Amino acid sequence: MARYGMVIDLNICIGCNACTMACKAEHATPPGVFYSKVLEKEVGKYPAARRIFLPVLCNHCRIPACEEVCPTGATSKRADGIVTVDHELCIGCRSCMEACPYGARTFYNREATYYFNEKTPFEEIKQDFPDGIVMKCNFCADRVDQGLDPACVQTCPTECRIFGDLDDAQSKVAQIIAEKKARPLLADKGLEPSVFYVGA
Amino acid sequence: MSAGLDEFLIDVKPQREWGWLVITYLFLGGAGAGLFLASLYMTHPWGEAMGLLLLVIGTLFLMLDLGRPERFWRAFWRARSSWISRGCYFIAELVVLGALVVLMEFAGKDFGLLTTLVKVGAAAAAVAVMIYTGFVLSPSAAIPFWNSAFFPVIFFAYSLLAGIDFLILASPILPPPAIDIAHLEKIQFGLVLFCLLLVISHFSVMSGSATAARKSIQLLTRGKWAVLFLGGVIGVGLVVPLLLAWPMLWQAGFQTVFAVTAILALLRLCGDYLFRFLVIRAGLYDPLL
Repeated sequence: MARYGMVIDLNICIGCNACTMACKAEHATPPGVFYSKVLEKEVGKYPAARRIFLPVLCNHCRIPACEEVCPTGATSKRADGIVTVDHELCIGCRSCMEACPYGARTFYNREATYYFNEKTPFEEIKQDFPDGIVMKCNFCADRVDQGLDPACVQTCPTECRIFGDLDDAQSKVAQIIAEKKARPLLADKGLEPSVFYVGA
Repeated sequence: MSAGLDEFLIDVKPQREWGWLVITYLFLGGAGAGLFLASLYMTHPWGEAMGLLLLVIGTLFLMLDLGRPERFWRAFWRARSSWISRGCYFIAELVVLGALVVLMEFAGKDFGLLTTLVKVGAAAAAVAVMIYTGFVLSPSAAIPFWNSAFFPVIFFAYSLLAGIDFLILASPILPPPAIDIAHLEKIQFGLVLFCLLLVISHFSVMSGSATAARKSIQLLTRGKWAVLFLGGVIGVGLVVPLLLAWPMLWQAGFQTVFAVTAILALLRLCGDYLFRFLVIRAGLYDPLL
């Protein structure tokens, strides 16, 4: 069985947020809910000051702290390593948010829309979740099951995101991680994340 | 649902998900279990009933904090790994067994071994309710300030302290048997010392810990929460009651004046609530880079 993961090359990322928007379009996430986003920081001093970008999403940890603390079983890990949230089981206790060191989850606590308090026809169809629950990236599990890449990977104009099977040494993702010595974020937390970064 | 600008910055971030509803549960739930345990020790059914009532009220606050409170029963599903789930069983066990104890004591019934078993079960559940919230926080990989083995013990000590304080405050209006306030005040003196030792030990360990834990300590000792922590938790909640109680305890034939012990109890309760408030509020996530 595959173990899906991703590598993101920070040397290539230009901070365009195309991944953020592709994700919102794919999942029709409400205002304030981001499965994928790009963090920023200004480093250095003028005239050598520059901005650095850090695209973040759920790390789909091999040992997911969120799954362990979830009291209802809403958070679970699939055989292929994708960590998902069953919106029908979630009670909105947010213990998973407290357990996740990556800030990958968002509490959707009141129904909200982007356009004049009314759902667009697109949102009517895609938003099949209630409010009062915790939401997060699921590596676009529906797309992955159809053999497609996650939306953020497909849309990235610089191809800084590569998705694939971490356990297959021949896969592009595994080769880039090995060749470019990619590292996960906060490896010291011991959760064995499945998202790796080049240049971190 | 919150996505402020700081959500998009690479930096230490405060936890904002658990607020006053959870904090009030931590306080009332712990105090209720502590009150039940102290009353069971003194065989005082009115105190026991009051403890259960506090626990139930506290649990209502916790349920109100849920995004989908009508699904609360699902929280019983994952006791094999989740401390919140285990806590649900502890609370349910305490309410059921505690109610049986209260009923038996009010009715003056004693069924021998069965009664003993029910009392032991209720006492164990009360201890578990006082401790488990510490285990909800202490395994946290995300928030280093919470990642400490001290929390289960600190929460136990603070819960018992608060439970006895509620018993002291309620003593004038509770029906017989009479409550030995002087005896309780001596226990409180020891508990306050114990809490002080635990809090100092926790801070000492955390000050040499991860980035976010050190920042939490800074927030509490030199930052925006310093007045509440040093003045409220340490000063009003622990040191002042110790200093006020000290001369009384060493008098020969120590007798308490209710007004004095009530003031001490109120100070300690304020310190207890503030401690739980600040522990939750000072939780910070490590920066990702």
